[in-house]
Amino acid sequence: MEIFLQLVVSGVALGMIYATIAFGYQLTFATSRTLNFGQGEALMLGAMVGLTLVLMGVPYLLMIPFVLLFGLAQGLVVERLAVRPAMRIKSEFGWIMATIALGIIFRNMAENIWGRDDLKFPSPVSEVPLQFGAVRVLPMEIFVVIGALAMMAAVEFFNRKSIYGKAVIATSNDRDAAGLMGINTNLMISLSYAMSSMTAAFAGILVAPVTLTGATMGSVLALKAFAVAIIGGLDSALGAIVGGLLLGVIETLTGFYIATGYKDVPGLVLLLIVLALKPAGLFGKTAIKKV
Amino acid sequence: MKSSRFVAIATAAVLATTLAAKAEDIKIGLSGPYTGGSSSMGVSMRDGARLAVEEINAAGGVDGKKLVLIERDDEAKNELGVQIAQEMINKEGVVAQLGYINTGVALAAQRFFQDAKIPVITNVATGTAITQQFKAPDYDANFVFRISAPDSIQAKMITDEAVDKRGFKKVAILADSTNYGQLGRADLEAALKAKGITPVAVEKFNIKDVDMTAQLLKAKEAGAEAILTYGIGPELAQIANGMSKLGWKVPLIGSWTLSMASFIDNAGPNSEGARMPQTFIQSPSTDKRKAFIAAYQKKYNIDRMLSPVSAAQGYDSVFLLAAAIKQAGSTDGDKIRLALENLNEKLEGVVQLYDKPFSATDHEAVTSNIPVFGEVKGGRVVYAYDDDKTASSKLPSKLKQ
Repeated sequence: MEIFLQLVVSGVALGMIYATIAFGYQLTFATSRTLNFGQGEALMLGAMVGLTLVLMGVPYLLMIPFVLLFGLAQGLVVERLAVRPAMRIKSEFGWIMATIALGIIFRNMAENIWGRDDLKFPSPVSEVPLQFGAVRVLPMEIFVVIGALAMMAAVEFFNRKSIYGKAVIATSNDRDAAGLMGINTNLMISLSYAMSSMTAAFAGILVAPVTLTGATMGSVLALKAFAVAIIGGLDSALGAIVGGLLLGVIETLTGFYIATGYKDVPGLVLLLIVLALKPAGLFGKTAIKKV
Repeated sequence: MKSSRFVAIATAAVLATTLAAKAEDIKIGLSGPYTGGSSSMGVSMRDGARLAVEEINAAGGVDGKKLVLIERDDEAKNELGVQIAQEMINKEGVVAQLGYINTGVALAAQRFFQDAKIPVITNVATGTAITQQFKAPDYDANFVFRISAPDSIQAKMITDEAVDKRGFKKVAILADSTNYGQLGRADLEAALKAKGITPVAVEKFNIKDVDMTAQLLKAKEAGAEAILTYGIGPELAQIANGMSKLGWKVPLIGSWTLSMASFIDNAGPNSEGARMPQTFIQSPSTDKRKAFIAAYQKKYNIDRMLSPVSAAQGYDSVFLLAAAIKQAGSTDGDKIRLALENLNEKLEGVVQLYDKPFSATDHEAVTSNIPVFGEVKGGRVVYAYDDDKTASSKLPSKLKQ
């Protein structure tokens, strides 16, 4: 039982990492029906910029706003260079290749600036694990869970309460109608990309002390998070959390009870089952596409 | 799609080497990963080789000719290694090839040198198969030599240390899912079997895995008294950090990669006490070693070498090749190979005293008596045993059969 609990706790911490990245996919999908496949690189750039600031002597908490601003700017660049041209010519798939290509460019840039070795991100909290009964947790893992939830809550609050947020939601509900109501939908799409990369950059500095920091840190995480976004549903924040926790916990449990060599398999099987039975995801709204 | 800065540097480097290489210079190919996850080994190897070339040229070169290194970054990618091999042979016309950090790259690329009859001295890669690929009787002559410690020797040392010296009868193996990790795991299992021991757990992990809880809990539940590893720096660090998180501390013993800076730096205090076979430890135990370490520190302006083993073997490989060229009196590949197989000079290196390091049938310079156990202490790799430290003032030499 103790082992089971320890596995679940570790799985939850891992799952929350996936959930924060999956949340970033959802933000852009809501407004523009496009995804940023460079989400992993946005996360990596956030972590790298954060690490550079921390090494320059900026305290962790003071560094956060700078990284958020950097994420905002990076998202705007992605939207401007990779997504808008594809949307203008009404290309169905152009943005897929464009965001992937931009991601590769960002990764190569990071390799040239920061090198390719994995670096240590100094933990802002103690690295001595806390003990709850027989279960042990790193303080940073708790920090990840709280930080991720706080970030999602903040974005949801912004969307529901602020005028801009309402415009974002209106755009995501019906882009043409929102446009007719005088909402600048292009601006809203830019805004959603900026927020998406901002959440990814924040996720980067959250997870970096637990994982390692390097130019390739985002690649595997972003792929798993994409699976989480599909499992949970691309238009539900709750779906991202549940999907992330599900995948994280299943991974660690499979690793222990079946075999560590197979730990990635059940998550992918789950993905296939969801796609077959509920294509919109566990919490997704089934939309009927009229042609 | 590199940045323009990279292109500028590359162009400058190419220009510099073309301008520097005159017709009478001796061109030596040098390739390894100078960027990427194993770059700490590649860069240290390159820097060691550069230092050796500088010293040889300052002393008048080989038979009055200067040595010139043709350096290429293989990024630890097999296909790039192949490309570079062809470039070295057909475009640069190198007389010999040094390098290779990654077993996969070595196995993919060395075939071209073998076909062109150009000798290769592998100075870091450890895969057991490397020197066996072109062995007699299938081939008339084998052009691949090695001065690093093959995995078969390392696996035996690791199990000797765990089972015989420290008395652990229940051990778990944690290996990554790459060729390196899985071939090493097979070597470890074979070495344990020879002692009549079956590991209590054999677990796998992937490159870039961030959570090792499941693997470690399995080992812990199986009652493992020590963990034997075959992986590279970043994931090894996740294992050490994961153990600290679970509040479970058993000795970590593994292949020489436990000396990688990316393991020690990322695991911090959790890396303390990890032990691994090493052919060289950054310690000035002989005059030659003292001079080498001092020159290296001065030239590259560092205190701790990123990978002392790679630096030392990179340095030695140049001197071995120079001695062979001198003895051959020629830069013909076949003559250099024959000279390496019958080297008359007793060459004092920093790893060992090269006394007939190779023969026609044996292309491994390292035998089981040469590596010692290193241990991570205070963020550095030091001698694990005082006996080895005392004995280190006398250079070891290859065992004679």
